[in-house]
Amino acid sequence: MLHAGYKCELAKGVIALASDNIGESLFDLFIFETSQNIEQLEQIILDNEKESSFASDAINEIFRIMHTIKGSAAMMMFDNISSVAHKVEDLFYFIREHSAEKIDYNDVPDLVLESLDFIRCEMEKIKTGITADGDGAAIVTKIAASLKQKKDKYQDQPQIMPEKEANDVNNANDQKLIIDKKPKKRKANREKITEDNKNTYKAHVYFEEDCQMESLRSFDIINKIYQFAEVIEYKPGDIMENDNSASIIRERGFEVTFKTAQNITDIDEFFSKLLFLRKHLLKEIAAFDLHQPAEVVTPEMPIENKTEEKQPVANATTDTHTAPIATMINVNVAKLDKLMDLVGEMVISEAMVVENPDLKGLEIENFKKASRQLHKITSELQDTVMSIRMVPLADVFQKMHRVMRDMCKKLGKDVKLEIIGEDTEADKNIITHLSDPLMHLVRNCIDHGIESEEDRVRNNKPKTGKVTLEARNAGNDVLVIVRDDGMGLDKNKILAKAKENGLLNKDSSEMSDSEVYNLIFIPGFSTNDNITEFSGRGVGMDVVTSNIEEVGGSVSIDSTQGVGTAITIKIPLTLAIIDGMNIQVGDSLYTIPTISIKESFFPKQQDLLTDPDGNEMIMVRGQCYAIVRLHQCLNVKTEVTDFTQGIFIMIEQYEKTVCIFADELIGQQQVVVKTLPKYIKNNYKINGLAGCTLLGNGGISLILDVGWFTGYKK
Amino acid sequence: MTSVLIVDDAAFMRMAIRKVLEKNGFEIVGEAENGEIGYQKYIQCKPDVVTMDITMPEMTGIDALKQIKKFDADAKVVMVSAMGQESLVREAIMSGAKSFIVKPYKEEHIVQTLNSIAMQ
Repeated sequence: MLHAGYKCELAKGVIALASDNIGESLFDLFIFETSQNIEQLEQIILDNEKESSFASDAINEIFRIMHTIKGSAAMMMFDNISSVAHKVEDLFYFIREHSAEKIDYNDVPDLVLESLDFIRCEMEKIKTGITADGDGAAIVTKIAASLKQKKDKYQDQPQIMPEKEANDVNNANDQKLIIDKKPKKRKANREKITEDNKNTYKAHVYFEEDCQMESLRSFDIINKIYQFAEVIEYKPGDIMENDNSASIIRERGFEVTFKTAQNITDIDEFFSKLLFLRKHLLKEIAAFDLHQPAEVVTPEMPIENKTEEKQPVANATTDTHTAPIATMINVNVAKLDKLMDLVGEMVISEAMVVENPDLKGLEIENFKKASRQLHKITSELQDTVMSIRMVPLADVFQKMHRVMRDMCKKLGKDVKLEIIGEDTEADKNIITHLSDPLMHLVRNCIDHGIESEEDRVRNNKPKTGKVTLEARNAGNDVLVIVRDDGMGLDKNKILAKAKENGLLNKDSSEMSDSEVYNLIFIPGFSTNDNITEFSGRGVGMDVVTSNIEEVGGSVSIDSTQGVGTAITIKIPLTLAIIDGMNIQVGDSLYTIPTISIKESFFPKQQDLLTDPDGNEMIMVRGQCYAIVRLHQCLNVKTEVTDFTQGIFIMIEQYEKTVCIFADELIGQQQVVVKTLPKYIKNNYKINGLAGCTLLGNGGISLILDVGWFTGYKK
Repeated sequence: MTSVLIVDDAAFMRMAIRKVLEKNGFEIVGEAENGEIGYQKYIQCKPDVVTMDITMPEMTGIDALKQIKKFDADAKVVMVSAMGQESLVREAIMSGAKSFIVKPYKEEHIVQTLNSIAMQ
């Protein structure tokens, strides 16, 4: 994010931009657009790989995207990216220009995906401010070899042009490259030239060193000369057919001989106005100096038919097609983060003003009216900012196609991926945290969940396995479900493994199914004896829970042996502002996320129990729950230690429920979540606190970490 | 002030061209992300010069050039090409493109090219 200097240096290096802001925005756009292009391209490849051939639309699109990446990377001077993209472009140029059915596509998806991985890796380096120094030579060579093989193979085949292809070439509207035709030549009549009163000139022009495409520039000059003169000869004569002519022109310049009625001053002016000319030499030559019967080369006339009737402008403007006006802009996420922070501060400031202690007891009707209006606007602003930050889950979901493909290919399994509800939206920052967990879960599904083909057939299941990714809204949360129709979790195997690793802290007979399944989230747990390249190292599920919890979400498992497993990730819609219940213990204030609270109640003496070990418990509707004395846990002094004087708040996470004992409830409030300051985090081991927040009266409230209290994290 | 319409499917390229041209006193009257929109915008804005990418979706730069020339034979269109597109540039010149620039281009190249064409 903060490599502005580096970015600007790059951008300025290319197009010498004066302002740092310009360089930076260009850099950001490059990153954004290229990343998007990579994703899009990957999707096209994956879609077409299934069909085992490429539709012509797809070929054009791949060609175009690679062309764009090449151009942008070249502008930013990332030559390695540009050269790899160029090679893929070449490959697809060949595919596009030749009859598709004759080309062997087998290695094409792999080559393109490998190139994309290379480009993606370089892009990551660029994003983090590291020099993009990856060597793309190996991939370039690989693609070149494949291209050569395809060309050789194509040439070995009988060259009967199919009717369709012949039509394509002749079709003037076709987007395909027009095959070069030799310039039309006609024998000049020497007598005619000498009889004419026109003068003959010879011009020798030299182009600027870095003007590029010298042969085309020469061609352009001939075209222009043709408008006032008759071109007799030019050297080199094969400017469009010979690939080397550009370098010949670069070294020796370009010579053109032409005959015109104009005088030398006019012609000199014509040449001095031409672009990218380093110098030009012009001399008038006598007709008999022409060393041989000249071949007059007449370039095809440019289609610049000025006599053609113009369409009336009125006609055109009444056309109902109006160009769409751009309604989308790209904004740096850092700016949105900042905006969200500011809105958060504003929510706090609003509370500070409205709930100011100085106002207590005052009869201020107008102030209340105004503050209600302020609150309405603040809430709307908050909602709007949050909606701006919302992005669909589609991007993360689509990435899983690639994960699937690679896994299936290497493990030899046949699995299809079904995606439901990819339009569901969540905060951009939360979605970023979802990518890794989803990848692990999908890998786990294929590696551990889906059985081998033989096993599936034996169990009367369809040969092709199925993994479903589903997203849907549930109140203030988003549910993301990864479901497979594999073998399901083996309870006994999990228990045995947990016992072996000393992970059981409870008698296994007392554990519910979901408690057993949750064991697989404990760090270091793995039941798979065969550690594969992809999963089974016992780190995957740990990453899942830690990433999801970081954004205030939770994970749960549901499984039926032999039928399949469903893992549900619950993530909040947004991170920054949560609904919280403020409670007081002694002089300190705490906030519990409302979402974790099941109920709060005053206890009755007869419901309180103490077991022989001294553990305090409470009976609620026939169920027994452990009591957590907040003042003891957090070491806070309070006078309320008797259960009947305080209040109980029942909280739940991962199907574990405890009752928290606090002095009193203060009230419900939207709070802006702030992380604990670094100096506290770094110096003390903080248990049970997830963050802090500012209250309307200026006080600080600590946000409780529900997972810790329910015992899951202990 | 010379008015310019930028037609390119890559937002990055459009911005790169826009920044350079604005810095050098050109007025950008429109941007388009494909040939079809480019043609429509030409009719709307009637810019002095068009910079036209060649490889684009929906309608290629060459086809858009042909359309624009049909509508306005005096249209001044500069093709934005890349190495390897020589034949397409040639076709564009045949179809009436005034000049071309080659990516990655230098600032002075694009400015010189557009200035000289605007003066014609």
